[in-house]
Amino acid sequence: MFNRMVEYSQEALNQVFAAVADPTRRAILQALSRKPATVTQIAQPFPVSLNAVSKHIMVLERTGLLRREIRGREHICTLKTRPLQQATAWLDHYREFWDLRLDALEQYVARKMKARKKGAAAHATTR
Amino acid sequence: MPQPGEPVHRISIRRRIPAPREVVYEAWIDPEGIREWMCPGDATSAEAVLDVRVGGNYRIVVKGRERDHVHTGVYQVVEPNTKLVFTWAEEGRAGTTLVTVEFFSHGNESELVLTHERLADTDTAKRYQSGWGAIADKFAAYLARQAPGRQPATTPNR
Repeated sequence: MFNRMVEYSQEALNQVFAAVADPTRRAILQALSRKPATVTQIAQPFPVSLNAVSKHIMVLERTGLLRREIRGREHICTLKTRPLQQATAWLDHYREFWDLRLDALEQYVARKMKARKKGAAAHATTR
Repeated sequence: MPQPGEPVHRISIRRRIPAPREVVYEAWIDPEGIREWMCPGDATSAEAVLDVRVGGNYRIVVKGRERDHVHTGVYQVVEPNTKLVFTWAEEGRAGTTLVTVEFFSHGNESELVLTHERLADTDTAKRYQSGWGAIADKFAAYLARQAPGRQPATTPNR
């Protein structure tokens, strides 16, 4: 199940990384991590047009990082963390993968060292 | 979660091993060694074909209970006893990633540092290498609040 999630998210993940590469979009996400906000509220602190902020919001919406809900005339934006959990799933997968293998590598190397010492000792006694 | 400024697309693992680094390095370039340590857990056996030289290919097949895992790649850097860099692809998984293994000597012991990173398109990679860390930290805190008890195991170094 875990693998399927990782495989599914490869392409989506690239989109997430690309989306958060932009400082304005990161700032938007940061603001939303405190509380949901309307598009106008989000745009307020930025020295760019409402239109430009709307475009950023659309990019975030496409990645699934942001959900827009229309209440009357207002658009309320909420942060969605699932895509980020998938981003960390990639890291978790390979961390576990290599941790297991490096444990095995250590054991393998320990066996080699033991054999080496044995060999050296045998060599010493036969001399 | 990654430290501020630490990219989220890369893991790094550091291991101190009580053996000279030549022995540790040998375990990475010897197919016999790879066959042994590359199949821990429920994996039953492995095949390894390694052409350890810059531009050389490798192919490692790990037979799992459910399916085989085929890892392939090309060596990018081969510095005996010091450094190995190779691309890493997995059958059934999109995208190529890059693995760097560095070997350091500390007397009779050695230290191994393994870095595994995603290769996004370079432009994207460059852009998110800077500044992603801070927001990732914010999200770590946010995720922790959302799902108490789940600690994302993504610390870059143990």
